[in-house]
Amino acid sequence: MTKTQASPAPTVRRVAILGGNRIPFARSNTVYSNASNQDMFTATLQGLVDRFNLHGERLGEVVGGAVMKHARDFNLVRESVLSTTLSRDTPAFDLQQACGTGLEAAMLVANKIALGHIECGVAGGVDTTSDAPIGLNEKLRKILLEASRAKTMPQRLAALAQVRPQMLLQPALPRNGEPRTGLSMGEHCEQMAMAWDIAREDQDALALASHQNLARAYDEGFFTDLMTPYKGVAKDNNLRADLTIEKLRSLKPCFDKKVRPEQGTLTPGNSTPLTDGASAVLLASEAWAAARGLPVLAYLTFSEVAAVDFFGEKEGLLMAPAYAVPRMLARAGLSLQDFDFYEIHEAFAAQVLCTLAAWEDKTFCKEKLGLAKPLGKIDRKKLNVNGSSLAAGHPFAATGGRIVANLAKMLEQKGSGRGLISICAAGGQGVVAIVER
Amino acid sequence: MATRKKPAMTTIEVTQPRHAAQLYAGALLSSRKRPGVVKALKPVTYVRPAVTLDAAEVAAYAKVCGFKPEAGVPVLYPQMLTFPLAMEFFASEHCPWPAMGTVHLANRIRQHHKLNLGDLLRVEMRTGELLAHEKGQVFTLEFVISRNGEPVWDGTMTALRLGVKNPVGEPYVSALGGEVDLSCQAGFTAPADIGRRYGLVSGDMNPIHLSAPSAKLFGFRQAIAHGLWTKARALAAMLPRQPIGQAEVTVEFKTPLYLPGRATLWATRQVRGSLPHNALFEVRNAKGDKPHLRAQLAYAVAA
Repeated sequence: MTKTQASPAPTVRRVAILGGNRIPFARSNTVYSNASNQDMFTATLQGLVDRFNLHGERLGEVVGGAVMKHARDFNLVRESVLSTTLSRDTPAFDLQQACGTGLEAAMLVANKIALGHIECGVAGGVDTTSDAPIGLNEKLRKILLEASRAKTMPQRLAALAQVRPQMLLQPALPRNGEPRTGLSMGEHCEQMAMAWDIAREDQDALALASHQNLARAYDEGFFTDLMTPYKGVAKDNNLRADLTIEKLRSLKPCFDKKVRPEQGTLTPGNSTPLTDGASAVLLASEAWAAARGLPVLAYLTFSEVAAVDFFGEKEGLLMAPAYAVPRMLARAGLSLQDFDFYEIHEAFAAQVLCTLAAWEDKTFCKEKLGLAKPLGKIDRKKLNVNGSSLAAGHPFAATGGRIVANLAKMLEQKGSGRGLISICAAGGQGVVAIVER
Repeated sequence: MATRKKPAMTTIEVTQPRHAAQLYAGALLSSRKRPGVVKALKPVTYVRPAVTLDAAEVAAYAKVCGFKPEAGVPVLYPQMLTFPLAMEFFASEHCPWPAMGTVHLANRIRQHHKLNLGDLLRVEMRTGELLAHEKGQVFTLEFVISRNGEPVWDGTMTALRLGVKNPVGEPYVSALGGEVDLSCQAGFTAPADIGRRYGLVSGDMNPIHLSAPSAKLFGFRQAIAHGLWTKARALAAMLPRQPIGQAEVTVEFKTPLYLPGRATLWATRQVRGSLPHNALFEVRNAKGDKPHLRAQLAYAVAA
């Protein structure tokens, strides 16, 4: 029997975050109304290529996605790559994990780099709710398909005879709702706020802090090397630098009708608006970065994904990060307090506050997480210090890239440290990661 | 019919509340009253010795005010049982002033035990104290409702007789002063017919609530919502949709809510108080810059 030499097990390499780029985020149906996902992602990629002088470079892979996607955009990321000055030999693919898309894309690229499959790559995401894909009326679609399958003209005419005028006027619109519950994400989050008894006042305070932090970050020039102006916009247009707590208090709850009539706590002020925008981050092996003289901002070191049964066992729809983080901490050998920055995506202020409350709750940590003692409190001064989605807006798939790039730069500014990323996603999912320097 | 009993602490038993028309005839006739200086209210108690919490009447009230059936007997409902007693008082010689031109200033209720449909209750009202107000004379009426001899609910109605010069008593002090930060909690409409609908379930057919023409007779440009309807409508939003055990609600009426109208409910639950759940709330105009009423709420859900 001949013995073949087993190929050496791949060594795991550190994955460097070299930088990121995004276009300013814009509230739905405002300045980017006529921009497609491909337009926005192309502009974002091109900005990244320009910043890091990647013209004509063949990157290992570009990975990204969009949550709201038209069928024609089946190859959205590859098509975007072809519209940039990157080498046309750069492969690309689309993926989608709701609001976790951007961070999941970053983990995918990071894992390939870690294993040596590629040397560098770009991860990102884009979303538009302005240029939303509107489908044909479902009945009309079925009729047209039947007509196209028909073998004879009479069969075809019989199928088409079923078309009614109203079918032309009742298109299938995309829904911002959970298919299994019929509730919108805001309604689910209102249920969570009720379960965790999260006060309206605390949600408004978090929203105000988000706007104030983002405004300060702009004033400090934090975003100058993280953003490319687009369509004449240089700042997220959801940001209200002059927002006051009185203004937030004056907003009426908007997700309570079905789940908690007249007792709601989530308002348009403490929930993220529908947003258009795109983001991308450049990841690489240390060798690739060194060869190009590109400084490393930070390293992407751990990730975890969790999902919860939000319609059977009735865990809150957006509670999965509360499960994902402790699992990741256990693997990393860290405690919740071992971080200098916490980037908890503010889908809703209540989502952040429910997650923090859960980690402080003895019963939840014991019964749901199986921990001997609660994860405990975090230092709130370290939370979303340069603003988050409540102020910037939340183009679903673009949020992950925004956060990874922000956090890497924050760690680079600090010199050393560790940051935690937590992103909740539709379908009861959560994507979390650790960035270190 | 009202039947007179023994003097000293006068007690008047009202076994069969009079018809609304009779009550209002009395109230209007009371407008002829021309009291001199009133030093104190005569101590008098009006009693309805046996009133059953009627399911149909409670349901009709709950529907008009926005309470859900699963909330059981609304905590403000027992106030309805006191209404015939208050009207008897206003029409009687025990009330020195006319009913018309008397303003409902504040209302405080306390529920000590959960009430159930079918409960047999004794409803008492006695005259209270006089307080001096810058706009006239304040007087109070005290209500106690008991079940099997045990008090289950009590309330105080604070009324202002406008235009009384040199009012007597301690100065009237608002129980709900001070600035509190409230958040917009909900919006609701006060439909054009709500005065008539609430009038039917409460018995309070005061013309200022019923229609614009009838309200104009009394100097209002439009009909105004019953203060107790506005309070009940806000409570329906503030309270959970389940039966309440103990509750304490203090409300001060600020400005009229004209019908039809839109109102906003502003609230905070970030307050401490006597019971497990506490809140402050205001009903304001649609814009949210003018309060119709301000209230403090404390409650415990029924065990």
